[in-house]
Amino acid sequence: MSWSKACRGTRISSYLENLHRTSQYPRTILCSRYYTHGACKSNEHYLRSKRVFWGSSSSWSLNSHSATAKSMLDSAHRQYSTHSPSETKSQKMLYYLTAVVFGMVGLTYAAVPLYRTFCQATGYGGTVQRKETVEEKIARHSESGTVTEREIVVQFNADVADGMQWKFTPTQREVRVKPGESALAFYTAENKSSAPITGVSTYNVTPMKAGVYFNKIQCFCFEEQRLLPGEQIDMPVFFYIDPEFETDPRMDGINNLILSYTFFKVSEENTTETVNNNNSVPVQETN
Amino acid sequence: MSTGGAFGGNRGLRPIPPEKGIFPLDHLHECDAEKKEYLGCLKSSAHKSEQCRHLSKKYLQCRMAKYVFF
Repeated sequence: MSWSKACRGTRISSYLENLHRTSQYPRTILCSRYYTHGACKSNEHYLRSKRVFWGSSSSWSLNSHSATAKSMLDSAHRQYSTHSPSETKSQKMLYYLTAVVFGMVGLTYAAVPLYRTFCQATGYGGTVQRKETVEEKIARHSESGTVTEREIVVQFNADVADGMQWKFTPTQREVRVKPGESALAFYTAENKSSAPITGVSTYNVTPMKAGVYFNKIQCFCFEEQRLLPGEQIDMPVFFYIDPEFETDPRMDGINNLILSYTFFKVSEENTTETVNNNNSVPVQETN
Repeated sequence: MSTGGAFGGNRGLRPIPPEKGIFPLDHLHECDAEKKEYLGCLKSSAHKSEQCRHLSKKYLQCRMAKYVFF
């Protein structure tokens, strides 16, 4: 290896060409040129094996050596000028790529308001555009005389969060209603503990895609409801299924809706209502 | 309103607050009789809400009359 290093170091690109072409000379010429003492003989053997190596690799190493030598010369001459075509091209490419990177980053930042405006304009993905109230909807449908025929069974489900001592059940198992008719349903909740408990509920409708057509006119959800110990109370839900439910092809197989309410406990310190515990009539707050 | 599978789809559906707000609860059980009538009607009519519509109206009227504003 030291031999090959020495060869490279002394810039013998042209000499290597000779080496490649004429395989007869190398042994003696190399020896006479670069070896002053009699280590030639011992290295002859080494050289032979090296020649194979050189022969196979010289074709590419030769080119690379000559090329690197040439480019070294070139760059040495053109160190301060950037007018070589390959360099300007690569620089242009660099600017372009940097611009692309910054462009992408800027686009991600701009995507947030853009997405918002897009959603509001098209209403895609469930964004509310301008909500038509149920009254307007009922008025519009009664004017246009839409007749709904499909009877939909709305079943009720009630859940209570873990550790909450309320008994919360739907008062009726199901209600059969046609789209376009408002219906009333009840839930019963009972506080089984010995301390007043405040709960807040949330709802959901399954199947999910039908939830769009399920409008609640009035309910007891999203607000804290306080129950005194042992108190039982009826919680009504007044809802309405959009007549557009019938015309939607995606709702073709859906005849059952399940309205599910879940009550969660609210810790006493968070309640904003001030209730006098001695007073049996609690303060009620509406929206 | 049209919803799509993309853009969150089911996850993107947010609970909508009720149109007319929160139903003030009948803590004093003043309209219990109307409620029982309505529920009885539902049971007898195989849970068809249309036939018991007049009773639900009665219940709501009762609540509106009896609800005390503090």
